Amino acid sequence: MKSRKYLILLCAAFFTLGGCDQNFEEINTNPYAIETLDPALLFANAQRQSHPGNWEVEQTIVQQFVNAYNLGATAGPNFNEDTDNFNVPRWNNLYPNSIKLLVQAIDLTEEQPTRVNLLSMMRIWKAYLYMTLVDTYGYVPYSEAGKGAAGDFFPAYDDDATIYDDLYNEIKSATDALNPTGDYVSADLFYKSAGTAANPAGQVAKWKKLGNSLLLRLGMRYSKINATLAEDIVSEAVSRGVMETNADNAYLVWSSAYPNQLNAGPRAINTYYYYVAEPFVEQLKATDDPRAKYMIGKYADPGAATTTSPDVTLANQFGFPVGYDSETIKAEAFNRGTQGSGLNYSQINFNVLGSATAPLFYVTNSQTKLLMAEATQRGWINSQGTAQELYEAGVKASMDEWALYPNATAIPLADQDTYLAHVDVAFNATDALELINTQYWLSSIGNGGESFANFRRSGFPTLSPNSYNNNLGGGFMRRLAYPNTEAGQNQANYEAAVSAFGPDNLTTRVFWDQ
Amino acid sequence: MTDENGSLFAGVNVVVKGTTSGTVTDADGKYSIQLPSGESTLVFSFVGYHIQEVSVDGRTTIDVSLLPDVTSLAEVVVTALGIKKESKKLGYSVESVGVDQLQQNRTVNMMESLEGKVAGLDISPPAAGSGASTKIRLRGQTAFSGANNAPLIVINGLPMDQGAISANGNDARDRGDALQSINPDDIETVTVLKGATAAALYGSRAGNGAIIITTKSGQKGQGIGIEYNTNYAVSTALDYTDLQQEYGSGTWNATLGTGVRPATQGEATAQGMLGWGAKLDGEPQINFDGKSRPYSANPNRFKDFYRDGTNFTNTVALSGGNERGSFRGSFSDLKSKGITPNNEYHKRIANFGFNYDMSKKLKLAFNANYSNEENDNPPQVGIQGSGEANFIYRMSTSIPLSAYQESVVNPVNGITEMPTSGFQTTLINPYFSMPRQFFRDKRDRLLATTTLRYDLTDWLYIQGRYNYDHSSVFSEFNTPTGQGTNNPYNATGVEFNGVYTTNTNDRTDINADFMLGVNKEIKDFSIDATLGGNTLRQEYRFTNQAVTDFIAFGVYSLGNGVTTTTNNAGIDWRARVNSLYAAAELGYKGFAFINLTERTDWFSTLNPNNNSQNYASISGSFVFSELLQDLPWLSYGKIRGAWAQAGSSNGAGYAEGNLTYNVLPTAFNGQKLGNIVPVNAPNPNLQPFLVTEKEIGLEMKLFNNRVSLDVAAYNKVADDQILTVAISNASGYTGTKQNLGKLQNRGFEILVEGAVVQQDAFKWISSFNFGHNETEVLALAPGITRFTQTTFGGNEFIGQLVYEVGQPINQLSAKTYQRDDEGNILLQDNGRLLATPNFVNFGSGLPTYTGGWTNTFTYKKLSLLVQFDFKGGGKILSSSALNWLRQGHSKESLVGREGGVVFDGVRASDGGANTTAVNPQTFYTDYRSLQIADPFIFKNDFAKLRNITLTYDFTSLVSKVEFIKRLTLTAACRNVALLYKDLPNLDPEAFASSGDNRVGYEGITQPTTRSYSLNLNVRF
Repeated sequence: MKSRKYLILLCAAFFTLGGCDQNFEEINTNPYAIETLDPALLFANAQRQSHPGNWEVEQTIVQQFVNAYNLGATAGPNFNEDTDNFNVPRWNNLYPNSIKLLVQAIDLTEEQPTRVNLLSMMRIWKAYLYMTLVDTYGYVPYSEAGKGAAGDFFPAYDDDATIYDDLYNEIKSATDALNPTGDYVSADLFYKSAGTAANPAGQVAKWKKLGNSLLLRLGMRYSKINATLAEDIVSEAVSRGVMETNADNAYLVWSSAYPNQLNAGPRAINTYYYYVAEPFVEQLKATDDPRAKYMIGKYADPGAATTTSPDVTLANQFGFPVGYDSETIKAEAFNRGTQGSGLNYSQINFNVLGSATAPLFYVTNSQTKLLMAEATQRGWINSQGTAQELYEAGVKASMDEWALYPNATAIPLADQDTYLAHVDVAFNATDALELINTQYWLSSIGNGGESFANFRRSGFPTLSPNSYNNNLGGGFMRRLAYPNTEAGQNQANYEAAVSAFGPDNLTTRVFWDQ
Repeated sequence: MTDENGSLFAGVNVVVKGTTSGTVTDADGKYSIQLPSGESTLVFSFVGYHIQEVSVDGRTTIDVSLLPDVTSLAEVVVTALGIKKESKKLGYSVESVGVDQLQQNRTVNMMESLEGKVAGLDISPPAAGSGASTKIRLRGQTAFSGANNAPLIVINGLPMDQGAISANGNDARDRGDALQSINPDDIETVTVLKGATAAALYGSRAGNGAIIITTKSGQKGQGIGIEYNTNYAVSTALDYTDLQQEYGSGTWNATLGTGVRPATQGEATAQGMLGWGAKLDGEPQINFDGKSRPYSANPNRFKDFYRDGTNFTNTVALSGGNERGSFRGSFSDLKSKGITPNNEYHKRIANFGFNYDMSKKLKLAFNANYSNEENDNPPQVGIQGSGEANFIYRMSTSIPLSAYQESVVNPVNGITEMPTSGFQTTLINPYFSMPRQFFRDKRDRLLATTTLRYDLTDWLYIQGRYNYDHSSVFSEFNTPTGQGTNNPYNATGVEFNGVYTTNTNDRTDINADFMLGVNKEIKDFSIDATLGGNTLRQEYRFTNQAVTDFIAFGVYSLGNGVTTTTNNAGIDWRARVNSLYAAAELGYKGFAFINLTERTDWFSTLNPNNNSQNYASISGSFVFSELLQDLPWLSYGKIRGAWAQAGSSNGAGYAEGNLTYNVLPTAFNGQKLGNIVPVNAPNPNLQPFLVTEKEIGLEMKLFNNRVSLDVAAYNKVADDQILTVAISNASGYTGTKQNLGKLQNRGFEILVEGAVVQQDAFKWISSFNFGHNETEVLALAPGITRFTQTTFGGNEFIGQLVYEVGQPINQLSAKTYQRDDEGNILLQDNGRLLATPNFVNFGSGLPTYTGGWTNTFTYKKLSLLVQFDFKGGGKILSSSALNWLRQGHSKESLVGREGGVVFDGVRASDGGANTTAVNPQTFYTDYRSLQIADPFIFKNDFAKLRNITLTYDFTSLVSKVEFIKRLTLTAACRNVALLYKDLPNLDPEAFASSGDNRVGYEGITQPTTRSYSLNLNVRF
């Protein structure tokens, strides 16, 4: 009797437990998680997250902008300092965001033959982002990057010249693969309105022009080290068909929910730190540039610049001299002193160029025209018109872009012509390269990465090195350094890259900048 | 039968010596026993009291009074699974804690009062507010930082994770842990089972040991009793800062070769946090708000900012019992005001327990504990931003606290914070944030256990137990409009900026187990065996919502925010662990015992092809004193040894094997955006890991139990743990979980306790405990000898937490000076620092020794307790020291103020001695940009006079009042004095987090406190 009693109890116990791991897979599955998603949505997010640069980095290096206060932590390119805070933004914004999404989305789309247009667009845009990474750092992880989900945790760095070779092939083949009768990508933030689901041809045409314009830009990079290769790629790109009008521009418009990230920093705090640099202002004043009123302004209180309106009269604008800070300038006779809670110098116009809803331009018709002007001047192409015509078209295209900014209207044609007739602007063959590339610098004001790259390649505009100290040996910054976390976390690959590429400092040169 | 107080003593064993006939005294302390013919001796015994032997001598009534045996360790110990065993049978290290002290030396979180009390138990309470968690570590840190390294907490048989929601870096506020739900007045026993060996029967959750807590459920035969306890404590902030008070706010001017004070309001703002200005002279000086105040030192800012904190606790308990059962119900209310002005913590705990013999064979026990906590504004610690301490400590001494109180709002718009410094987002004026920023945490928790035991025969029993743990947490917090910015509006100037976030968490843990037990004696052998199974079911649900862009000013709610930045709900944890186990204890003649256990766990969170782990343990004890009865000085002696394994799935997350996506709540110009959720690359192939521990120990009681000694040595290795490894972010991901690594903790523990003086009127008992623990990384992933766990952010950005094979764990790592072969520091030609290209290790952040010394003096009705404790052997990397140096506040920053810093080093280029002067502001900032940590590394050693407690027992004075059975009054002071430390300007115990990720890294926190309390305890 007793033995039956506890035999029953024992059985009951084991039965309640049942199989010891039954239902475990169901328990360990999250019913609320999304496990498959349309890769086009990842593409849209990757486009949005494309790194816009930093005023305190690229635009500071090319002497358009400066944080005049040296508080230790704020010392970076403005004072020739190698500071991790200023080196990392492009790396830390691209790899864990856009690159991560694009690598995964491309992986998902490769298995779907009906989405060849989506795939090609993503390939082109990924190539663009890698181009900006190579231009910024030199050797970077490329072929092994973005593959953490597949188990590749410590990507090796690829040789920068080799990456460029691959980018060339990637952009070319992706552009070729675009099919005007293929899929329409409604998620595309650049050109979705150029096509419709029924007829994607218009969208495809834009992407082809974008791709070829990137090839043009890429080819142009070789101008210092291999003029022949540059000529070949440039003429090939032009003949394949590049951007023609401002309607082909690749740009994004920002809003309250997603404000412009380039301007977010200076707008949020310590606005009185930030001024425009003297060479930039002098250029605008000397040429009476009609864009100046949208780019720069003089505020009664630099600390309140985001909530007040500036004086945009060009004669009243003064740029902060390069090579000084708010303390060292006090010893100079030309010091203009203080103003409000800051200094008596001009800042970016926070209502227009510095607005939270100012658009960001990645690849433009204006830049394309100017590069073609240089190519024509060098005799590499001759089918697009004279160098002068392309130069003037490039400048006008830049002028027309300002219509898209908030609190700005199109620059009247008359003003554009007056400007182009100015003695220091008018095209002449002797100064052609200087004129073209100085305009490129002005046209790319919102895209510091591109100004920095083109400045290194062309040597223009004519700037004097920042003499604040001798950290750069009397020269300019030629790259940014790798993030400190790479030396710690990816030590073996980091060290291999450094021994092949050169010391991880600000003066080692990217391959096309030799 | 009466006890030492003259109270009736129920439950005393009365045995005729040399026979097996005996009885037990009843509720009135009476007994009746039949004597054999001839001379007899009666033996009276009760756990914790001296045994008395009385010869009958023909008497028919014998009244005896028993005296407590104050030096005895509890003879019966609550072991794993609530099984009570005599301590002589245990082959592993167990220590009990005196419960009276928990009540008298009360701390808000009961675990904090155990600091320094148990050898090898390292309690580190962060300085993070009243409602905070504590860090509990037994025998070092078993696994890598990031794993759950706290011991298992068991309440009345309900196993529970400590569940600390700590300020582990970016969380910034410590929101407490499960121990906050327990009222010290309700606790009956606390037993610490130290190693994996002691807790092998709990399996996977007890690899770090276990702390077994039981709450009171009354005593059989006691009748009805009421107990009331009230405790009032006042805490004051302790200020150890000794910063420079010679120079005020300003910057260093290279032309003049000295510091200059700000000339304008703008400069005063930009330089408010810099102490590089001119010598303080009391002259009128313009401040950040345009007002003029004397340019003099204000060294008492910290003391003036923090208020005196108060804790007021009241507990009422009703208990009763008859011969079949007993019960106890209590209610407690704690109101606490923290030293940070707007921090308040309120908790109410109700506890009810009973046990009842439903029949001779069927016993029922029930316990329920309900707690309700409200934590308002736990201080922000360890982070830049709106932490109050972060601001007060880092602004220049020349600006008085009153200035920050007066000029809070920017007159330009009347809304935003008046800028006080050049670090506008990282130094927030607390007088702006305290009235506007809130953080509210409300939680309800119910812990309930029901145990039913049926004795099938007198040697066979079956027991079933059901534990239910449910908690519900609601929290809401905001970033107020205009904090840290000059613009009250969002980017487009339409709505007000700021953020409002609300979270809810609903958690249920059900733990059910059954046990079949055998308890039999066969001749000289005894056997005690159990067979059982357990199922743990956990499900945690959450909702998270956050909005920004507010329409109405100052209203922080979901309805008022236009843009939704987070809108998410679901299950963040769901798991099941099923287990089967068996245990057997064999004893020989009551002095030699061997224990064997065997267990298998199945984990739902692991790879389905490899989700079970099987582990065993063996331990033995030999009470050698039984064979040496003739040694007069040896009352008790036992040697013990054990080997055990405990497995774990600790670190494996819920449903983490696959890549998942989400859609961002706000569309971009109408286009929905998709995102990949995990920032860690998923790994579906995680396996359980194993902790293996060996220990040996010796316990002795000497000179008639007057002195006791317990010594243990152990070696614990954790292998193949599940750990998030930091990877290159160029992979798209910042980390991934892997099974890797082998860590070793080994050390020894000593506990010596003795009655130094033992007279009738005066007694002095001294207890010394000491634990030494050394750690080592034995292996990492194949081919890897070093990896970085964390890169420190928070208050200051310097250093990393690193593991390197062959070195102690948790190395603090940063760069260091470049040196030549003779050890001279190399400098640039311009006199500035050079850093090594690689990171070097400065030492482990973990202490290698902990200990305490407690003395209790009793004179008649008065008792005095004096406790010291100490800790040390590790290193601290002080980010506050870096901030104070680079901002010009520390005394070290005084070097170079006149004429510049000429650092003692040689030029790297030509080896010549350095003679170049450098702007001190630039020179000292280089430490941060170059990540050189040498001046900021200190030892974490300290020794403190922790507690002085004076108790007077008034019972005899009020004995005329019939219904008062006991009345005691206690006055206590906690954190009386800091006797030794190496860290300048701060208390080495002022750290921000109870987690392991910041161990050794000092990030600014609120100051530690000294508290004075009075406790009154009355029993009716």
